[in-house]
Amino acid sequence: MELSEHIKTANVEDVTLRRPFHPALRGTLCVTSHHLLFSDGKDEASWQLLILLKNIDAIEKSVEILFGYPRAVGSSGTITIKCKDLLVLQLEIPGMEECLNIASSIEALSSLESVTEMYPFFYRPSHLTLSSPWGLSSMEQYYKQTERLWDRWRVSTVNSDYSVCLSYPSAVIVPREVDDDKLIRSARFRQGGRFPVLSYCHHRNGMVIMRSSQPLTGANKKSCKEDELLLQAVIDGSKLGYIIDLRSAQQAQQARMTGGGFESKSCYSDWKRIHRHHERGKVVQESLIKLVEACSDPSHSVDRWLSKLENSKWLSHVHSALSTAGLVVECVERDGHSVLVHGSEGTDNTLLMSSLAQLILDPASRTVTGFLCLLEREWIQAGHPFQQRCAHSAYSHARLKQECPSFLLLLDCVWQVWRQFPLALEFSEALLLRLAQEVYASDYGTFLCNSEQERCAAGVKENTHCLFQSLLRPNIEEQYLNPLYEPTDLVIWPSVHPQSLQLWTGLFLRWTEYAQNMEEAREEVWSIVKEHREQAGPDRTNNMLSTHCDTLTPFENLMDELTIL
Amino acid sequence: MTFRRGSGLYLALLGADSWVNVALESCRKANPVMASAPIAPYNSSPLGNSSSPNASRESLKMEPLADVAMLPGEERVIDKDIIYICPFNAAVKGKVFITNYRLYFKNTDSESPVTLDVPLGVISRVEKMGGASSRGENSYGLEITCKDMRNLRFALKQEGHSRRDIFEIIFKYAFPLSHGMQLFAFLSQEKYEENGWNVYEAMEEYRRQGLPNSEWRVTFINKNYELCDTYPTILVVPYKATEEDLKRVATFRSRCRIPVLSWFHKENHAVITRCSQPLVGMSGKRNKDDERYLDLIREANGTTKLTIYDARPNVNAVANKATGGGYEGDDAYQNAELVFLDIHNIHVMRESLKKLKDIVYPNVEESHWLSSLESTHWLEHIKLVLSGAIQVADKVSSGSSVVVHCSDGWDRTAQLTSLSMLMLDSYYRTLRGFQVLLEKEWISFGHKFASRIGHGDKNHADQDRSPIFVQFIDCVWQMTKQFPTAFEFNERLLVVILDHLYSCRFGTFLYNCESARESNNVRVKTVSLWSFVSSDTSFYVNPFYTPESSRVLYPVASMRHLELWVTYYIRWNPRIQQQQQSPVEQRYKELLVLRDQYLKKLEELQLSDSAPSPTHLTNSSTPNAATPNQHITHLQTPF
Repeated sequence: MELSEHIKTANVEDVTLRRPFHPALRGTLCVTSHHLLFSDGKDEASWQLLILLKNIDAIEKSVEILFGYPRAVGSSGTITIKCKDLLVLQLEIPGMEECLNIASSIEALSSLESVTEMYPFFYRPSHLTLSSPWGLSSMEQYYKQTERLWDRWRVSTVNSDYSVCLSYPSAVIVPREVDDDKLIRSARFRQGGRFPVLSYCHHRNGMVIMRSSQPLTGANKKSCKEDELLLQAVIDGSKLGYIIDLRSAQQAQQARMTGGGFESKSCYSDWKRIHRHHERGKVVQESLIKLVEACSDPSHSVDRWLSKLENSKWLSHVHSALSTAGLVVECVERDGHSVLVHGSEGTDNTLLMSSLAQLILDPASRTVTGFLCLLEREWIQAGHPFQQRCAHSAYSHARLKQECPSFLLLLDCVWQVWRQFPLALEFSEALLLRLAQEVYASDYGTFLCNSEQERCAAGVKENTHCLFQSLLRPNIEEQYLNPLYEPTDLVIWPSVHPQSLQLWTGLFLRWTEYAQNMEEAREEVWSIVKEHREQAGPDRTNNMLSTHCDTLTPFENLMDELTIL
Repeated sequence: MTFRRGSGLYLALLGADSWVNVALESCRKANPVMASAPIAPYNSSPLGNSSSPNASRESLKMEPLADVAMLPGEERVIDKDIIYICPFNAAVKGKVFITNYRLYFKNTDSESPVTLDVPLGVISRVEKMGGASSRGENSYGLEITCKDMRNLRFALKQEGHSRRDIFEIIFKYAFPLSHGMQLFAFLSQEKYEENGWNVYEAMEEYRRQGLPNSEWRVTFINKNYELCDTYPTILVVPYKATEEDLKRVATFRSRCRIPVLSWFHKENHAVITRCSQPLVGMSGKRNKDDERYLDLIREANGTTKLTIYDARPNVNAVANKATGGGYEGDDAYQNAELVFLDIHNIHVMRESLKKLKDIVYPNVEESHWLSSLESTHWLEHIKLVLSGAIQVADKVSSGSSVVVHCSDGWDRTAQLTSLSMLMLDSYYRTLRGFQVLLEKEWISFGHKFASRIGHGDKNHADQDRSPIFVQFIDCVWQMTKQFPTAFEFNERLLVVILDHLYSCRFGTFLYNCESARESNNVRVKTVSLWSFVSSDTSFYVNPFYTPESSRVLYPVASMRHLELWVTYYIRWNPRIQQQQQSPVEQRYKELLVLRDQYLKKLEELQLSDSAPSPTHLTNSSTPNAATPNQHITHLQTPF
């Protein structure tokens, strides 16, 4: 069935659009295969709203039928559109039939299942060409750039045809002394074939963060020699490593009944297991739903807002994520031991911990490029099932399948770090907001599919543009940069006290006046920064004695920063 | 060598996070909250400890004077060995020094310094804890309740009634007025370059607003406080109202607090006026003069309907009729509409803050933080005050004049007028303008600071005490949060103001009204807080301030957008304390210090250049002159 067959009414005139904090507008509504377009006039200067249909999470329609005259002139319908980026719109459409047609088109076209029918496969902007490289880096390139890995680690292409692990990339980094055969055997012992691979090697002490899925010990306590050897090779002589299991001890025990399990002390004697309970899947998705419900309660005098916020448990997920990431960091940085992180499948919370820990530990991952590379490595290549997790967002009435806002949770945690360390990250909140939007609905192919294998099969790299590439080229947009960025080599330990964690108002209360105020403030800060940077040029040469150039240079740098601040 | 921006700082900071080791220890014991320990390494800088200018100044002076930095006029009263029962660590042995201004504690038993520096004015209650026969370690001592969200406990030796003298001395010096003594502000000999008492001159401020004019006139009817003893001497009233009118209106307003102008909108000529409740009483009395007077306010700029904002909840206004008060009825005031703003009274606010203290001190309620916070209703009260002020500001900017009152017109009324003025007039958002605002709407118009705070008074359970001013400052803080570039001053100014609200070191917040301040000669005998603030303004400046003149700021007064002011209310908690300064501000401060050092260096270099000495060349290349390397290593040490 062609996409266009879903469209019974393509154009409606005299539609009224209502958005929060804007006056209502009248104009023309138009449905295409991938977009909803509203325009308030016919000339060039008209204001337009273009919404990706995929961004629409839920629609509600109400039809006013004049009593007894269902087709009478004057009957109209209202469609409420709730988007995955949390925007809510209302469209008043004259004519009941038109209204119902539009609604059914939106319903059909916003929930396309086939990847190749999605918009990224049709998005062809003039400034981008398909031949430009897709993605920022590969595992091989990462290995080549990271000299500290060369000695003890190697790139294995054992998964080059995705036969060892369906959700892993074709190349992974493993201990040099473990050969591919052992990897294959270890993979058979791990759920989904996700055997332990390197996620990060700490620049200061060479300790590593590994990640995997749970071992398949099962009820009769199976073991796997090769898996043990693999982990043995990771710590290589040093006496201790930590396994951070993202389930409670009880849950890990229970997992044995369904074929999963945990690394027993007897088989992995050099590894100390620490359990940290983390909610997953449906529970987290429901938290998001409750939170957004509380945030979009239209009554301004919401009583019991704080209780609602607490009951959504969203902030407690943020809290546990940051605490456990802190634990990983503590093991690596303070204690000087390597860490293996896993939960069950190793595709959600596991990635959350490994990437947050890197952000806290590694200054390189706090630049724009470094952060996007981190996301690419730890989420996209590592096989976070974006398509399943982000099929629906907070408004959908559809029955939950495998939705879970793991990635949103990551962005929220990063935001908390950013808020606590306003100087330490090179990127701004705007970048996080952009990513939060793109992950649910995008012009780009970056977040399509569930794994590299699926992206290969669908030809994503050949037929779509890469979001990360376009964010960085030719130059990163100013709004994505943090004007106050001041690189630091230090570990940035976030505080996780309940008083230190805050609701990410920028995202969850995005469509309010408050967001506008903050936006204006951000622009003002930028203009202060720019103004001073421009001034810094001529000032520099002003009646300064040339003999003291050396002294003056640091002084000027300082003044530069001071005026910026 | 080039100086990489800030690199020295970060290097120097590396050694400073020793707490992390402690945290890791607890991790090994499989403590579930172990990762909650990490805090910003930025904040581990020792700079963070001296978080106010006087603290750092004091710590410098401290050594020669047996560890107590004294203000001019400050005198030692007693020193004593004591154990400070720190709620965050174990008990700390040390010495306490009591002066006529402060309680200062310093530990003697360990390497890492533990100090307390508490102005006695902060103390609301001193109690004995345990008796001579109490069992258990540290069970005999003192418990001190403070007005600034903390309690202090000290233990002493049980032998020989060792606490008797210190208890009596603290009791006497913390509550001097109850013992026939003077507040410290009258004993202080501090000198500052600028005289802060000159910050606010009523005439000057009214002139700035464009007054007097053809609609509004200045009256001196109250020059001897004969019309109203809690009002200032200079008042602005409708041009058409005669002195006789004013006197007649005064008879119908509680405590003679007649409607007078607070703020004038230059473009649309709408005004904010303030007053107390009308004396309607049970019988529903009317007063033609009061009715006509309000109509004169309305007429002045041709407002069609004057809006009267009664800050109270409707029921409270009705209940006030029983005690002779009330509100403007529809029949009597036909050209006015009355709006109730539902803000609760001083007793409700006091209890609310007390509940807040319960959940944040000494230990923060962690498990159900948000719902416990909600149950204090503190943020809800903040919301009501802010949204009331927004309504006032909005009405005025739309061109309608308003009257604001509550019962007496010195608590909620001051909150509403000053907050709406802060929204409407960007002048009040400057460092100087904010001082003017406080001087005008709070101090000169008789917010009863002495009664609300209880300066020097031992009666801790006094029902007149209430944190109305703290609540106002919290509202200002909420606004600075929502408009980070709109205010010239920073959070630190707000904290310093609140600290000296209690300290009794400056005369600014003493007494209930201008007439009392005048008869006690406060302007002559005490120093103004603004003298102190002006002595180091760079400390209070918001680096992101962008002046803009004409915008009205409407904060979002929804619960969703209000935050607890953690860095004030929970600042005594060491974990929060370390985060107290925002990294941006702290960095700014560090840079200011660096700049001063460089400027000094530069000056020296220029001097050495201008001296036509043959040693000049060698001079600048010897190691003790400023070659950059030397210079930088030197600079690192202070951090």
